[in-house]
Amino acid sequence: MKILVGYKRVVDYNVRIQVKPDGTGVVTDGVKLSANPFDDIALEEALRLREKGAADEVVVVGIGPADLTAHLRNGLAMGANRAIHVVTDEAVQPLTAARTLLKLVEKEQPGLVILGKQAIDDDANQTGQMLAALWDRPQATFASKVEIADGKAAVTREVDAGLEVIEAELPAVITTDLRLNEPRFIKLPDIMKAKSKPIDAIEFASLGVESHDHLKTTHYAAPPKRSKGVMVKDAAELVAALKQKGLL
Amino acid sequence: MTSPLDDLARRLPGLRLLTEPGDLEHYGRDWTRRWTPAPLAIALPATPEEVQGIVRWANEHRVAVVPSGGRTGLSGGAVAAHGELVLSLERMNRVLGFDPADRTLTVQPGMPLEAVQAAARGHGLVYPVDFAARGSCSIGGNIATNAGGIRVIRYGNTREWIAGLKVVAGNGELLELNRGLVKNSSGYDFRQLMIGSEGTLGIVVEATLKLADPPPPAQTMLLALPDMDAVLAVFGLFRERLALQAFEFFTDVALRHVLAHGAQRALDGDHPYYVVAEFDAPDEVARDAALAVLGEGMEQGWIVDGTIAQSEAQAAALWRLREGITESLAPHKPYKNDVSVRIGAVPAFLHAMQALLAREYPQFEVVWFGHIGDGNLHINVLKPADLADADFIAQCEQVTKRLAATLKEHGGSISAEHGIGLVKRPYLDSTRSAAEIALMRGVRRVFDPNGILNPGKLFADD
Ligand SMILES: Cc1cc2nc3c(=O)[nH]c(=O)nc-3n(C[C@H](O)[C@H](O)[C@H](O)COP(=O)(O)OP(=O)(O)OC[C@H]3O[C@@H](n4cnc5c(N)ncnc54)[C@H](O)[C@@H]3O)c2cc1C
Repeated sequence: MKILVGYKRVVDYNVRIQVKPDGTGVVTDGVKLSANPFDDIALEEALRLREKGAADEVVVVGIGPADLTAHLRNGLAMGANRAIHVVTDEAVQPLTAARTLLKLVEKEQPGLVILGKQAIDDDANQTGQMLAALWDRPQATFASKVEIADGKAAVTREVDAGLEVIEAELPAVITTDLRLNEPRFIKLPDIMKAKSKPIDAIEFASLGVESHDHLKTTHYAAPPKRSKGVMVKDAAELVAALKQKGLL
Repeated sequence: MTSPLDDLARRLPGLRLLTEPGDLEHYGRDWTRRWTPAPLAIALPATPEEVQGIVRWANEHRVAVVPSGGRTGLSGGAVAAHGELVLSLERMNRVLGFDPADRTLTVQPGMPLEAVQAAARGHGLVYPVDFAARGSCSIGGNIATNAGGIRVIRYGNTREWIAGLKVVAGNGELLELNRGLVKNSSGYDFRQLMIGSEGTLGIVVEATLKLADPPPPAQTMLLALPDMDAVLAVFGLFRERLALQAFEFFTDVALRHVLAHGAQRALDGDHPYYVVAEFDAPDEVARDAALAVLGEGMEQGWIVDGTIAQSEAQAAALWRLREGITESLAPHKPYKNDVSVRIGAVPAFLHAMQALLAREYPQFEVVWFGHIGDGNLHINVLKPADLADADFIAQCEQVTKRLAATLKEHGGSISAEHGIGLVKRPYLDSTRSAAEIALMRGVRRVFDPNGILNPGKLFADD
C-alpha cells in the first residue's frame, strides 16, 4: 500500500508570531519555519505503518514556492520514500489544497492519505474533510490511534465523551490529532541519504485546479494587550469596584 | 536594651522582615546543601533606600549581611549559617526602563534571568546570557558571580552585558557606576570590579543591561562521539566552519541520569560522549554547508551518530539532555568542580585530569559535562548512597587539592563561572597569587571597612 502524507511548512509553533506593521500578514522573514506539527505526526504514523509492514511506500506532498524543497528534504530524511512538490507562489486555501491533493490522489492511487487535522497557521481544519468528500471516500478525523487490517483502518478518536473507535474502508483519509505519536528525531546519516531521494516538481498551473480564493483576508492584527490589573486594598474596595462596573 | 533586629524594624518601619524557622531555612541556603542555615532574620527591602538603611544599620551593629538573589548558586555564596541577616532582593524585581537609542534595559536586581530575557524580547532584542537556572536565578546574582552559561562562546559572560550599575557599597554609600556609557576612560571602572565580587563589596540595587540583535534562526544538533579527542576535533572543525552559538558536551553517565529523570531519548545506542551544538542557519546555503561539515566529521570517524532538530520543540528536547543534568544529579549530592583552562590548553589538561580522576576516584561515579567550547568543564562526583556526607566530602577535598595543583600547572581556574563562595575558598590560591589575594583583601577593606558584606565568602576574614 502507498500512503500519501500532506507536509506543510509553517512558522514554528514556539515562535512568537508578529503581525506586519501594515497588517497584511505575519512576519515570516528571518523566522524559524518548521513542519506543521500535525503533519509531522502524520508522516511519523505513515512511517510506522510502513515499518509494521502495513504499507510499502510513503510519499510526502508539499504545495508552495520553490524553496519548499528544503522542507520536503526533511520529510525525506525522516524516512519518506519520495516527495511531490506542487510549485506555486500563491498561498493556498483549504479547498484549493484539497482539489490539488485530489489530482495527486488520482495519479498516485494511494491506499491511504494522512493529513494533519489542521495547520497551525490558519487553523482551518478543513482540507482532510474536503478531500474525502471530493474523492468520495471515508474520512476518519482527529485520529489518536490507527490500526490497519483487512483493507480497513480502525481509528480511535478523542471525543468529548471519551474514546470513539471507527472503522473506515480503505482507501480513506485520516487526519491526525496531537496524541497519535511522538515524531522521531532525524538521524544524520538519513539527512545525508535524503539528498539523493527523488522530489517530483509539478507546476500548480499544469494540474488544472480551479483556484479562485473563496475567502479574502482583509487584515491581520495582534490580539489586544491585556490592560493592567488594579490592586484593591480590601474586600470593601473590591466590592465597590465591582459594583461600579455593574458586575454586582 | 533593644536588640539589633528591633532597632532595624524601628529605623525602617516599612521593611519586610521574616524570622519564622521555615523562612530562615528557605532563605539561608542556596543549591549547596552542605551548611545548616542559621540566619538571624530575612530582610526583603523594596527600594535602594531600604537597602542602604540596612547596610548602615549593619555597620553600626556589626551584623553580617548576606546578599541573596535566587539562591541557585552552586558555591555557597548566598549561604547564611552564622547568624547573618539575609538581604533578599526578590521583591525588587521590576523593569525600570528601556532605552531604544542606547538599546539598554534597566532592571532591579531581583528580576529572574528569564524575565529579563522576556522583557528584552518584548522590545525586539535579546539579553543573550542564558543557562538552565534561568527561571530561578536573579540578574543580581548573575552579576555577582559573573555568570556564564551556554552562549558564552558567542556572547561572552555577564560582564560583557553590563552598561551600568547602582550599588550600595559595604560602607553604606550609594554608587552609580558607569551610568550606561559606552566609552568612559576616567579611571578605575568599579562597575567591572563589582561584577563577580560575590556580594563582598556592594549590593547591586539596579542594573542597566546591554541588549543584542536577535540571532538568525539556528539549528540545534545532538552528536554522538567516540572519545574526548573527537569532541575537541569536532569543536575545532565547527569553530572554523560554522557560526557557532553553543557547543556543550556531556558523557554517557550524564545522559543516563537525565534520561532517568524523564528526558526524551533522541539517539539510539550507547556512546561515550555527546555534544549539543547550535549554529546560525539563516538559509539553505548555510544548512548545506553545515551538512558538508558534518559529513566530514563522520568521515573522520569523529561523529558516530547524530540528529538535527526539525522544530523548536525538538531543539528544546535536545537541550533538555544537556540542561537537565545539574537537576538530575542533585539527588546524588554531587561534589561539584567547575574548572577552566585556556581553550588551547584543554587537550593537555583533559588528559591529565582523566588520569588523575581514574587514579583518585576509582570508587566514585564521576560525571563530566560542560561548556567545552569555553574551556570550562563541570566535573561532578556522585556520593555513594552508603557513604556518610562528611566522609564523602573529606575524600573529595583530598582529590580537589590535587586537581587544584593540576589546574595551576595548566594555568587554569578553580572556578570558571560558579564563584568561590564557601565551597572553593580553600583553593583560591591555586588560581590567584598571594600578591593578588592580598590586594583583593585590601580592595574589600576600601569598600567595606567593617567587613559586614558576606564575610567568609571568597576568602576567610582576617
Ligand atoms: C541547574 C543549574 C544550572 C546552572 N548553570 C549555570 C551556568 O551554566 N553558568 C553559570 O554561571 N552558573 C550556573 N548555575 C549557577 C547559578 O545559577 C549562578 O551562579 C547564578 O548566577 C546565581 O544567581 P542567583 O540569583 O541564584 O544568586 P544566589 O545564589 O542568590 O547568589 C550568588 C552570589 O551572588 C550574591 N548576590 C546575589 N544577589 C546579589 C546582589 N543583588 N548584589 C550583590 N551580590 C548578590 C550572593 O551573595 C552570592 O554570593 C547553575 C545553577 C543551577 C541550579
